[in-house]
Amino acid sequence: MENAPQYVIEMLHITKEFPGIKANDDITLQLRKGEIHALLGENGAGKSTLMSVLFGLYQPEEGIIKKDGREVKINNPNDATALHIGMVHQHFKLIDVFTVLDNIILGAEDTRMGFLQKREARKKVQQLSDRYGLKVDLDAKIEDITVGMQQRVEILKMLYRDNEVLIFDEPTAVLTPQEIDELMEIMRGLVKEGKSILFISHKLNEIMSVADRVTVLRKGRYVGTVDTADVTKEELSRMMVGRPVQLVVEKKEAHPAEPVLRIRNLHVHSKLYKKDAVKDVSFDVRAGEIVCIAGIDGNGQSEFIYALTGLEKASSGTIELCGKDISSQSIRQRGLSGSSHIPEDRHKHGLVLDYTLEQNMVLQSYFDPRFQNHGFIRFGEVRSYAEKLIEDYDVRSGQGPVTIARSMSGGNQQKAIIAREIDRDKPLIIAVQPTRGLDVGAIENVHRQLVAQRDAGKAVLLVSLELDEVMNLSDRILVMYEGEIVGEFDPKKVTVEELGLYMAGAKKQDKEVSA
Amino acid sequence: MNENRTSFWKKDGTRSVLASLISILIGLAVGSLIILLLGIFNTSMKDAWEGIRLVFLGLFSTGRNTAGALTFGFNGINFGNMLFRATPVILTGLSVAVANKTGLFNIGAPGQYLMGTAATLFLALSIPSTKMAIPGVNPSSIPPIAVWFIALLGGMLAGAAWGAIPGLLKALLNINEVIACIMTNWISANLVTWFFDVSNLKNIVENTKSGYIYKTTINGVATPKMGLDKIFPGSQVNGGIIIAILLAVAVYILLTRTTLGYELKACGANRFAARYAGIKDKRNIVLSMAIAGALAGAGGALYYLAGNTEFFWSTYQSLPAEGFNGIPVALLAINNPIGVIFAGAFMSMLNISGLQITNLTSFNEYITDVIIAVIVYLSAFSLVIKLMLNGRKKKRAAASVVDDAKGADKGGSKA
Repeated sequence: MENAPQYVIEMLHITKEFPGIKANDDITLQLRKGEIHALLGENGAGKSTLMSVLFGLYQPEEGIIKKDGREVKINNPNDATALHIGMVHQHFKLIDVFTVLDNIILGAEDTRMGFLQKREARKKVQQLSDRYGLKVDLDAKIEDITVGMQQRVEILKMLYRDNEVLIFDEPTAVLTPQEIDELMEIMRGLVKEGKSILFISHKLNEIMSVADRVTVLRKGRYVGTVDTADVTKEELSRMMVGRPVQLVVEKKEAHPAEPVLRIRNLHVHSKLYKKDAVKDVSFDVRAGEIVCIAGIDGNGQSEFIYALTGLEKASSGTIELCGKDISSQSIRQRGLSGSSHIPEDRHKHGLVLDYTLEQNMVLQSYFDPRFQNHGFIRFGEVRSYAEKLIEDYDVRSGQGPVTIARSMSGGNQQKAIIAREIDRDKPLIIAVQPTRGLDVGAIENVHRQLVAQRDAGKAVLLVSLELDEVMNLSDRILVMYEGEIVGEFDPKKVTVEELGLYMAGAKKQDKEVSA
Repeated sequence: MNENRTSFWKKDGTRSVLASLISILIGLAVGSLIILLLGIFNTSMKDAWEGIRLVFLGLFSTGRNTAGALTFGFNGINFGNMLFRATPVILTGLSVAVANKTGLFNIGAPGQYLMGTAATLFLALSIPSTKMAIPGVNPSSIPPIAVWFIALLGGMLAGAAWGAIPGLLKALLNINEVIACIMTNWISANLVTWFFDVSNLKNIVENTKSGYIYKTTINGVATPKMGLDKIFPGSQVNGGIIIAILLAVAVYILLTRTTLGYELKACGANRFAARYAGIKDKRNIVLSMAIAGALAGAGGALYYLAGNTEFFWSTYQSLPAEGFNGIPVALLAINNPIGVIFAGAFMSMLNISGLQITNLTSFNEYITDVIIAVIVYLSAFSLVIKLMLNGRKKKRAAASVVDDAKGADKGGSKA
């Protein structure tokens, strides 16, 4: 090992055990100085545990950590920070009611005689923000900005602290294609300046394009470390999942029938900004087709879906579902009239995290005579229904129907929501970013389910920020930019680059009602 | 798998109970320690030992024998009085617990209790029963039990209406319910003062130099004893405790077995998900506060309908302690409606012990206030205690990471 390359971080033979399970079993990860090293694995493979060990949140039972060749003991996140290890967490650690600037400097504030010196900090953050193209409004409160922008705040936080080793935990999950490209550029730039990056992801495209080496984990065990130059995506996915995975959705030609959803001149006023978040949107979704609304995060998709599902009021326009005007109906009525809804934020809207899995499975149907009798819940029915869904949709959890939803992995939480919504068997399925934060195996599953529903004659309205998904899955693409539908495309006749131009607002089709 | 599941749930339940019991034990120990210190420095070790025995066994105290030693045994009067005093705190405890289960902090129980009291007294005294009837002048054929029922119902409704106000403010204007509750508490105190000032009831109740004494027995209205006076002869107990227990069971059923309970708890746990599921979150917030208010109102109603109690009104009305005591009761019971019964009984048992200490030793009853304070303080930490218990039974710990990993592990064995 005389000529061994200089490792900035070495995690050697790490074993971390939780009661009843080895979350990390003899895992070795070596990060070279100035490289982008990807950590690949499915949900629950032990990536997060390993990173938590590195970050001092957990103490490993066995194994050692070396920084610049010297063994170090990382007892808590402060130790990690002192070693200039910084992390962008998958679930953001931001204070909602603080401004962006306050969040960035929090814990690393400059003070003079006890007073905050924000001007210097603002300048530094502004420079970082300009330099890396991380556009944020420094004075906006976290609760008012989009998820995408929150992500950028997290990255800025790390840059602000001059960290040498940067851990990105699934950073692209919420970014648009262009933003992802930008982030990749940023990462390459950071590495050029001598920083080292650990990049946790399960998106093979990104890993192939940006990482130098990949370490693959599966079920808590170390599978191997390879140079990205030497492997293909298919090989990587096989290492990760343990079986060959289909990366492209297989689907037959769509046979659209009569329109299920008919939207005309819909406007939605934005509470946050004094303007319309959704402007004059008109389109149809027909039975047996998947229509996808593509666009960059924050261009009115969320508001549009809120108005469509009744979570917020539309200011004008009509929504017809199965020939009935539903624009003045309640959320419950809309659901019963014929739409099921896989929401964008599964923790906020999709699940009551403190409820058990079975209670969540009947969240949309507990009032159905099948599950209640004069206001009393029929527990037996609920249990057997939940067990059936768990079986049919392969929802995995620690204790079956009585597992608390909070303790389930993200992929299985999403599976539970999809099971619940698809099983309601409504003519319209609204799916908003249904694969956000899921791994390859789970994505494959979700896509198959949606295509199966389309083939069963359902109308599927998909909102996605991921162009791969848009191109793969949809039969028709609508691009939304600043609240307007700026173009309609056939996925077979359009390129990703072309779509990107519309999504960025550089091009716009003449307005016409699509049908 | 199945066995695993039930044992886990059992463990979680037992851990919660254990955490509360540990708080109680520490509270009693602290009380004993204070008595010990007082004994060492002020009186004698013998006194201290007697005081400590009464802290733990006050309920079973039967006084002193001819030799002057403390005697213990079953004391029907103490037991009956404990049940009598437990009635209002069980109900206010339920009130706080219901609101808590739905994500609201009902610090408005004193106001709701007071409104219930006022409405009950008004109804019980102003509807003349057969007892008040004067032939030819004031004929009445309403039996006292009917008046009693109307008065109880009226007290609950008044409490519900009063509880609904902070609920409405929260639902419609997003005003924090804690602030609204504290304000409505003082509004109710002044409202009740004003109400008794202008009402004609002053003419029929006893009056002393400093105020008026309202007794529902003037009108022959009192809660039936339901046979409890036979079991605990000589005590103040009445059927109110049975009604309180029935209400606790009803609340338990409401929260765990009904769709309404499902909705209420969903709103409390995640208002957004509840909205997404088409649950009317605003209606449920108001409803939850109204139910809480009705329970606190029932507490006030049953206390003053007891037959042996009187409401003393002077020109200034303070907030009833029973209302605030609901908060520690709910805390100690970890918001479990059935647990509230025991927590309420325990609180009133401490009260009885305090009386025994005052009567039989040189210490005074305030020692039990210290004990209650310590217990409340600790039960706020019951989560920490639970975690400590978890640490000892490491194998049962259910960290989310574990389940994640388990999910993956099972996936492997299936694939």
